[in-house]
Amino acid sequence: MLALIYFIILGVIALGSAICVFLSRHPLYGALSLVLSMVSLAGIYGLLGSPFVGVVQIMVYAGAIMMLLTFVIMVLNGARDSKTPMFDKVSLFVIPAVLALSGLVGFALVQAPIAFDASALRGSVALTSQTLFDTSSKGQGYFVLFEVLGLLLLSAMVAAVLLAKKRLGSINEGEDK
Amino acid sequence: MELQAIYIQFLALALFSIGLVVAISRRNIFFVLMGVELALNAVNLSFVGFSKTLPDTLSVTGQIVPLFTIAIAAAEACVGLAMVILIFRNRESMDANTYSNMKG
Repeated sequence: MLALIYFIILGVIALGSAICVFLSRHPLYGALSLVLSMVSLAGIYGLLGSPFVGVVQIMVYAGAIMMLLTFVIMVLNGARDSKTPMFDKVSLFVIPAVLALSGLVGFALVQAPIAFDASALRGSVALTSQTLFDTSSKGQGYFVLFEVLGLLLLSAMVAAVLLAKKRLGSINEGEDK
Repeated sequence: MELQAIYIQFLALALFSIGLVVAISRRNIFFVLMGVELALNAVNLSFVGFSKTLPDTLSVTGQIVPLFTIAIAAAEACVGLAMVILIFRNRESMDANTYSNMKG
């Protein structure tokens, strides 16, 4: 019962701030609403018994990714063309299409007999690290994915630096602007 | 009245729908990126909610995969924002409709 009350509170906050993202004009307000939505989702992860995912959600998602997004919004002054309409004619078709899609998926979900299993393991730090770094041959091999993910993050960082920097040897051209 | 597994899935579905609508129908490029992030969040929530419906050792996978998803979302945000900065230098606009220079 208590879990349901907590879930309703956190879910209403998450949904409301997601709707705020949809309706806000300034990207900065949208980003802050999105941070609120992510933090309440982290609370739901903790409620479901996956505290490590919740903490990673707060640290990486709400802390790092959204901080980067907010930083870029502030640097580029993303509200400078707030005179343009928020939506265009495509939105008239997108919203009914997405509503139809979610209605179909919701119908399929109602048909599916799913229930919580009491023997589901709690995703604590110890269990997560044991599973993630299980290098024995009987393990599930997540450590390989972990290494690949390190390579992916490195290549993404290199790509971002190469994309966002000015051309090499164009220091004088940059000063002209 | 207890917390049912289906409620989690409905919340994830609603968040995914809102994220999809934000990503497709908003014109500001930052809202497009934020909609993608919201949809990724909803998928993570769905993973964790489904993993709790499985018996003991089977329920671990659904709690590992969101960690990878979050890391991939970090890489996606990094490259996406770098591209936004790059395009913004040429176009001086946040409107995604002005970015389409390939007619089609």
